[in-house]
Amino acid sequence: MSRLSTKSPSRCTDLPLDNADICKKLDLLRQLLRSCFGSDSDCGLFAAILCLSLIEQAKQSGLRGNVAIRVNKHLLGLCTSYLQGEDCGCKVKLDFCSSQSLITLARSVISSKPTCVLTEPETLHISRLAVQAFLLTVPCSSPGIVSLGKIVTVSVEGHGVLNSTVFPGVLLDMPDVFTIDKVETLPSDALRMVLFSASLAGDLSELGDGIIELHPGVDTDSQILDQLLELGKQVVKDEVKLFVCQKVIHPVLQQYLRGHGIIVIERLGITLMEPLTQLTGAQPVATLHTTIPAKAYGRVRDLRIRTFGSKTMLHLHPPGECAICTMILCHRNETMLSELKVVCQKTEHVLRLTLREPSALLGGGCTETHLAAYIRHKSMNEIPETVSALGCSQTECLLGVEGFCRSLEAVAAALEHDGRSSLMDLTHAHHWSHPTDVLTEHMGDSLGSCGCGLVESSPIQKWTYLNSKYPQFSPAPLSEDASVQPHVLDSFTAKLNALQVAVETANLALDVRYLIQDVN
Amino acid sequence: MPPVERLHLDHVVQTVSVLESVVLRSFGPEGGQVLFTRDTGQAMLSRSGARILTALRLEHPLARMVVECVLKHSTVTGDGSKTFILLLASLLRMIHKMACKEPNVSHTYTSRQTAEASTARHLADNILAFALEELDDLIAMGVIPYGCCLSWEDFTAKKHLPGPSNNDCVQKLLTSFFHSRLGRSHCDFISKLTCELLTHWKFKRDQPSLSLEFVNDNLDALHTPVSGFPISCSRLIEGQVIHRDFATPCPQTEQKTVKAAVFSGYLQPKLLNAGQVLQLGCGEQWMEENSKNNRSIVQFSAWTERSLECVFANLQSLGVSVILSAVKQSAAVLSLAAQAEMCVVECVSENELSLFAQLSGATPVSDCWMVEPEHVATLTFCRPILLGAHRYVHVAFNDSEERVTVKPCSLVICGLGEGQTDQYTCAFRDAIRMLLSTWEPMGMTATTASKRTLQSTKSTYSHVDQIPNVPPFQQCRLQPGYVIPAGGTFEFLLHHALLQNGTSCSASDDTVTSGLAVSQLLANALLIVPRQIYSHSPRHFLQAQARFQTIIQNHSHPFSLVYKQEHRSIFGESAFPLEEDKLTKQADVSAKLFMSDSGLESVSCKYQLLLAVLQCLSSILHVDTVLHTHTALHTQSRRLANTSWEDTDDETED
Repeated sequence: MSRLSTKSPSRCTDLPLDNADICKKLDLLRQLLRSCFGSDSDCGLFAAILCLSLIEQAKQSGLRGNVAIRVNKHLLGLCTSYLQGEDCGCKVKLDFCSSQSLITLARSVISSKPTCVLTEPETLHISRLAVQAFLLTVPCSSPGIVSLGKIVTVSVEGHGVLNSTVFPGVLLDMPDVFTIDKVETLPSDALRMVLFSASLAGDLSELGDGIIELHPGVDTDSQILDQLLELGKQVVKDEVKLFVCQKVIHPVLQQYLRGHGIIVIERLGITLMEPLTQLTGAQPVATLHTTIPAKAYGRVRDLRIRTFGSKTMLHLHPPGECAICTMILCHRNETMLSELKVVCQKTEHVLRLTLREPSALLGGGCTETHLAAYIRHKSMNEIPETVSALGCSQTECLLGVEGFCRSLEAVAAALEHDGRSSLMDLTHAHHWSHPTDVLTEHMGDSLGSCGCGLVESSPIQKWTYLNSKYPQFSPAPLSEDASVQPHVLDSFTAKLNALQVAVETANLALDVRYLIQDVN
Repeated sequence: MPPVERLHLDHVVQTVSVLESVVLRSFGPEGGQVLFTRDTGQAMLSRSGARILTALRLEHPLARMVVECVLKHSTVTGDGSKTFILLLASLLRMIHKMACKEPNVSHTYTSRQTAEASTARHLADNILAFALEELDDLIAMGVIPYGCCLSWEDFTAKKHLPGPSNNDCVQKLLTSFFHSRLGRSHCDFISKLTCELLTHWKFKRDQPSLSLEFVNDNLDALHTPVSGFPISCSRLIEGQVIHRDFATPCPQTEQKTVKAAVFSGYLQPKLLNAGQVLQLGCGEQWMEENSKNNRSIVQFSAWTERSLECVFANLQSLGVSVILSAVKQSAAVLSLAAQAEMCVVECVSENELSLFAQLSGATPVSDCWMVEPEHVATLTFCRPILLGAHRYVHVAFNDSEERVTVKPCSLVICGLGEGQTDQYTCAFRDAIRMLLSTWEPMGMTATTASKRTLQSTKSTYSHVDQIPNVPPFQQCRLQPGYVIPAGGTFEFLLHHALLQNGTSCSASDDTVTSGLAVSQLLANALLIVPRQIYSHSPRHFLQAQARFQTIIQNHSHPFSLVYKQEHRSIFGESAFPLEEDKLTKQADVSAKLFMSDSGLESVSCKYQLLLAVLQCLSSILHVDTVLHTHTALHTQSRRLANTSWEDTDDETED
């Protein structure tokens, strides 16, 4: 490629983080992120806000980049080992005997995406559905290696969110409504079905790249069609009631099959093939010239027609236990619907993570304040060791710790909007929100409970504003009280990862010495 | 007439100094990242010298030439790009100073600048010639006694030996490398991981280079980049990861072993290849002669299906339950495989298949009609693995007779984003190359090549084949595998050795290009490296220099004597008596102690680096004119033109 205009030289900036202009931009970005951060935290935003706060704090502290990086890394190590430890005070074990904590966890994820535009009851409904669908994908009675099933999502536009629902089994699109009458007369016990993965349109694609010369009088189309009808005959003889093809079925074959009372579904698409084989036990057939082996047939139970708005669907129940389910998601318009779909996938992912690590972190900013208090206390107690391990002075180390803890607190404070201020209690170090800036004598009455809902305010408690000086203390663990359940929970795995990503990113940014901008 | 730009020494010094100023930002313990951004939103963050220099997209032909030299060097040794530029700039400045002071007076030149250029060129050539002749001896005498030799056997032997083992030394060597490459935060973690990887991939009885070369060659297949996770999630996993998902549902088996076969082509035979013609419905007579049934196209496709069924029947009789394929198979193949309870993995890359073949010992099937037991690999498992957002196929191998010591494992490299994982991968690759050059017998490649270059530059118009006086490179004077504490030790020691050499070698010849001057120049130029390492505090530099002075004064005399004698006896014969080697090692301990907590650097890499820099120096000083050749479109800007540089060195030199 040629270039006709003169190339302008790159713009270079030394020590870009000391540059006022760049810092202003960072600050603006932080403000923007803060404005999107809801009361139920999202791990991506959490990471972004924490990262920017860490950069800002490191700059304000005036520490050398390398020292700040080392201190941050050391404190991250303290955080992760505390969070992973047995005696972590901001972690709760998930109880799989009740769906309540799973629903709370799902709700945090779903309500963290305001673009879905959900009301409070809608959020709860979707959270329940997400948990229901997730539980349906966990097989109950299979010993040995457990493999999770699948949630098939069907979106229906123009319906209220509360119409969304979850079914066990698979729902297939039924464009040809005229077969409905016949379906309804079908018995509901196990039916034989066949699943084709090759095209049945009458093309022979696997012959190769050579040329076929036809002499007059040879009609390959009818030869192939005859072969397809042979297949049809076998299927009829084997008493198949449902005929599904991933690709296109020749209209004549369709006609023939329907004439024999078989339900025909074509153009299934690749995505539904795996759930359908798991559901029915069928093995996809792609050979047209050999008899279909008996074991390739699958079974379904209880065919039923269901309609959602303009959609007519055939509902297939599994013959036995099966970890496949279908989630029908309804929303008022397309944009919100696609957001809802993404959120539900994310929720599914978060719920699946709980199987590997059955814990959750307290939400509502309580994990952040608690962690900040813990880090302050822990690092103060270990200051001589830390100083020698990091090779910095005590002052530098203290500055670094302060910056790190303030950054964590800043994330908690970012949850508050509308001029409310953030507080922390001096017993458990949980996060509280208060409408005014006045710290009164009778605060206990107006505060209610903390961000995650585990701690009730009491007159003997003391509070401090976030980002103000307070004597360091060891945050007390909560008494095991089964009757009090946290209102807000965050995914343990996702948040731990976000914490690590945030610190690592901040450290990378703090390590930047030179900026070269190509302005062409 | 193309525009001609005469290159003056000032230009050369300036150009290289600009490169130096960029590279310096990420050099040494206080160095950091350089961030490149484009208005398109792309951004790249790097600390790697080679990457920074490549990303600069330079226009000046001389700068491009320098970068090319750096890249050539760093692809071989995997290391030293930043130091390369630093040394080059430092040497150029010294030569410039010297040439300005004393331009070559023995000839008549049209201008002072030409005279300066000539002196500079002469100096550069002399330094190169001197280095090619003397450097290995100087290093052997002045540097090696303070280092220690890593042995591959010890490194991979046992991990739980008391005291500092060789393993620690390799790890220290790697730590220094990753520190300069990726920064301090993660260098310990990654070097440990690399050591673990190498311990797993150790072929017993083999040369270290074989193991390293194996990892180097197969790194693409051996690693999986995963974005969105902190680097601390990087880990080793048993066996091999095939970077594809199952094409058919993977059946869960409780069986102890899994049998697999590798196919390089299609399982379903193609009836017609390109260019072949199938005639249908031609004369009845012909048909009857050949086959009574072949009247329909359907018969042909039925044949391909039947043959496929035979292939599967054969595979089933061999107990195969996993098919790895280089190509995408037909729907019929997948269907029959599912019916036969086999799982298929399609479109596996060539690298991965060849690694699989090496590890499993099974030969890939080329003709599906001839699947024999030697084509069947036995695996301990074959299952899906979720890495980041992708599902891959994870296989592990049965221990075989030949590789009792090798525990096949793959590397999962995690990073914040794709750019980061990519850099970590490159750093891994280069670390392996660096180790390879550390253990590579010195002088085998670098020196031979450079001696040739020298010959061709000395007599400008002669060709490489005309090398007259250089004997075939037989004496390898430096033992491979030597390491020296990092942090400027090599430069301090060599500086001292060069100065001593200068005073001893010649007092008679006192021109600027004499042995004395050349030694001194090189010695002083070397100090740029420690100076920059301690750039955050000049006091530390002076302290370090003083410390080295005392150490050298206290130890050098007896040491070098001992070494010289040994040196002669050892190198007189071709074999290396092990006992004597151990003796030197023990004698070294006291010298080593003072810097036991610092990282390590490879002497061999440093030596190769120095030679590469000197060659680059000599070749850029041989450029004196730049001819800008223009294509039609490039007439507007001279600077933009597709510049080509020409070695128009036609002046009389010798």
